[in-house]
Amino acid sequence: MNRLRVLKLGWEFPPLINGGLGVACHGLAKALAKHVDLTVLVPKSAANHHHDGFELRGLNHLSIEEIQHAEHHYTYDSFAQVRHIPIQLDPYENGQTTLETLDLLPGGEHCFSTTTRKQLEMFQIGDLYGSDLGNKVVEFSKIAAKLALLQPFDIIHSHDWMTFLAGVEVKKATGKPLVLHLHASQYDRAGADARGWIFDIEKFGMENADLVIPVSHYTGGILASHYGIDPAKIHPVHNGADSVNTFTTRKKFPEKLVLFLGRLTAQKGPEFFLEIASRVIATLPDTRFVVAGTGEKLRPLIETGAFRGLGGHFHFTGFLDKQRVNELLSMTDVYCMPSVSEPFGLSALEAAQFGIPAVISKQSGAAEVLKAALKADFWDVNLMATHIINLLTDEALREKVIQQAQQDITAATWDAAAQKILALYQKLP
Amino acid sequence: MPDVCLYFQVHQPNRLIPYDFFRIGEHAHYEDDGMNAGILNKVAEKSYLPANRLFKKLIEQSQGRFRMALSISGTAIDQMQRHRPDVIESFQELVATGGVEILAETHYHSLAFVHSHKEFERQVELHLQKIEELFSVRPRIFRNTELIYNNAIAARAETMGFDGVLAEGVDWYLNGQSPNFLYRAPDTARIKTLLRNYRLSDDLAFRFSDPSWPNHPLAPETFAQWLNDSPGDVINLFMDYETLGEHQSAETGIFHFWENLPNAVIDAGSQWVTPSEAVDLYRASREYDCHFLTSWADAERDLSAWMGNVMQQEAIAKIHRLEAQVLAAKDPVITNTWAKMQTSDHFYWMSTKQGTDGQVHSYFTPYPSPYDAYIHFMNALADLQILLKRKTQP
Repeated sequence: MNRLRVLKLGWEFPPLINGGLGVACHGLAKALAKHVDLTVLVPKSAANHHHDGFELRGLNHLSIEEIQHAEHHYTYDSFAQVRHIPIQLDPYENGQTTLETLDLLPGGEHCFSTTTRKQLEMFQIGDLYGSDLGNKVVEFSKIAAKLALLQPFDIIHSHDWMTFLAGVEVKKATGKPLVLHLHASQYDRAGADARGWIFDIEKFGMENADLVIPVSHYTGGILASHYGIDPAKIHPVHNGADSVNTFTTRKKFPEKLVLFLGRLTAQKGPEFFLEIASRVIATLPDTRFVVAGTGEKLRPLIETGAFRGLGGHFHFTGFLDKQRVNELLSMTDVYCMPSVSEPFGLSALEAAQFGIPAVISKQSGAAEVLKAALKADFWDVNLMATHIINLLTDEALREKVIQQAQQDITAATWDAAAQKILALYQKLP
Repeated sequence: MPDVCLYFQVHQPNRLIPYDFFRIGEHAHYEDDGMNAGILNKVAEKSYLPANRLFKKLIEQSQGRFRMALSISGTAIDQMQRHRPDVIESFQELVATGGVEILAETHYHSLAFVHSHKEFERQVELHLQKIEELFSVRPRIFRNTELIYNNAIAARAETMGFDGVLAEGVDWYLNGQSPNFLYRAPDTARIKTLLRNYRLSDDLAFRFSDPSWPNHPLAPETFAQWLNDSPGDVINLFMDYETLGEHQSAETGIFHFWENLPNAVIDAGSQWVTPSEAVDLYRASREYDCHFLTSWADAERDLSAWMGNVMQQEAIAKIHRLEAQVLAAKDPVITNTWAKMQTSDHFYWMSTKQGTDGQVHSYFTPYPSPYDAYIHFMNALADLQILLKRKTQP
């Protein structure tokens, strides 16, 4: 049997990453490449080369001549008549961006606009999530559709909303089946009331997709209930976790350490962590809580912590690089992830690799993977606090949670995820 | 025509290193010695040394008719003794002219009075010893950190044996009276309160170098005339010593101005007095009833520069809460480390005020933001707590 040829559309990719999306795309690409011919197209890559068995192409390395081959082949469909789109780029940026206008050709035909050198150059400079994110998303879609015509493949696999327009365009250009992979939705980032351009793209993309793969059953439920996507095409596949070299470090202080790791945004629930901390400290004063990360909630959180008088026991590290994060994990006693909405929560699995028992919110994908982790609704800070106190005081419980987590993470591999996705590919039209 | 009473404050805090979470429990040295020495060197060259030379010359030339007062914080003295003994000598030479009165204050330039009377008295006593050791004088006048003052502080200073205490002349407690008289605090018997004339003081401390000020550039004769035209017994000009050459650079003409001001004042018919001379010369027949704590900082003239937000309130409360534990440890190094963390500047840098006052806070801060100042301070505090625990429960 011929190997399937898969065109993967991604946004961030190691080493140029901002969060979990790039890590997940890379992990999955490596595992899939063992079974399929894989090309990964991203707006920006560190280098243009064969990479762990697949081909990685960054638009920042693309020449204008390559694209011009494809021009005149195709007319736009999904956004040709858009003239002016004001976008609120929440959550990545607060500024407003206006998209360029696309002109209709005489006779009402929409045709490929010529990709200019300038448009291509924007992938070489600037931040992937800068104020021109909207522009980049649209240009990426156009160029991806053009490139798709130059190279044969069987399946399109798009990761997160930034590449959904591109996926739909490529599907329309080539007629190939479209798989959308959802690592995070606007519902997670901006709350249940989130609407707007990003929400619309997500919904539009999923409606046009042949298969939707959310990273958890939790997220699958949101896609069905909140976005109104047909449950029959939603097939959750849990992320894997690359094994990391774990180690332990002796703490410099005698107190127990409870860790929160992540962006300080409403989605991650840092305020709940503070509430939980104040309750645990009331019972176990010899406990330190650490918030590792930064974000818009940092300053309010510092002030609330000071107001509650938690300052000596509630610490902030700011942004930490991977090495520092691992150093912190190596001395942590309990990992706490009180996310309001967490599609997966890779960090909880990484913590488990370090042998750290976790207390996590039920509103997370990790809760489905880490079977013995202690769980509570994100708002149930009393229960969360009780869980932490139990883990800090009950050695037998602690051991049990750690043991089960070891089994769970052994099973949670990218190879297992790739196998499930291959099976789903087979069912595509 | 009133007399003119001039007092300068000399102070340097011990800025902390960015003490991050990973260092909690390692008991590192909290202070940024390099930065503290660097700033002291800069200020010494730009301000202390040239100002000392200038005022020594002016006192000698005027044969003591020009006189002034200095208050030097204990933290500044300690830094100079460690990094710049030559600057201490320069101050000693200046004081040796006999034209300079030295005032008493809390050794660590702290808000101890607000938090612990015991610690307050310990620090004043420490400062008195230091001053006696270096300058062989016993101050008669007390000035609390940043002119923090209320009726209770005046009463406490009287109990401690002082003849005078400095304060900000706050409009809403003066009730339309002039600051240019000596005042008496309620429930005190003899101590006299000297109130800063903030309008005339700030003309020299802030507005002097502001080109948009209508009176810029200010001539010494003009200013002497303003003093001469004022009502009252004595005009108190209180400001930072660093306003000469540091807050206002030499290029603004500040040294030239001060070189000529003493004679301009004398020529206009006024005389220079030190705070204790003012106290001896004038009666304090009016009452200055100040229940609430006031200071010379920010537009509010209260404690909001150091205790205005929750970060400041928590940090200052927690450092003072360690008092009993620190004293019980009986370790002079730990006690000194702890007391240096009481220095008002640590809390000043945590201020989140905006506007003109916010700009002044930002001018002095060594940190990128008040939040960083808070985090580093609280991490060092957490480390100190662990150190104390390890000392007291082996």
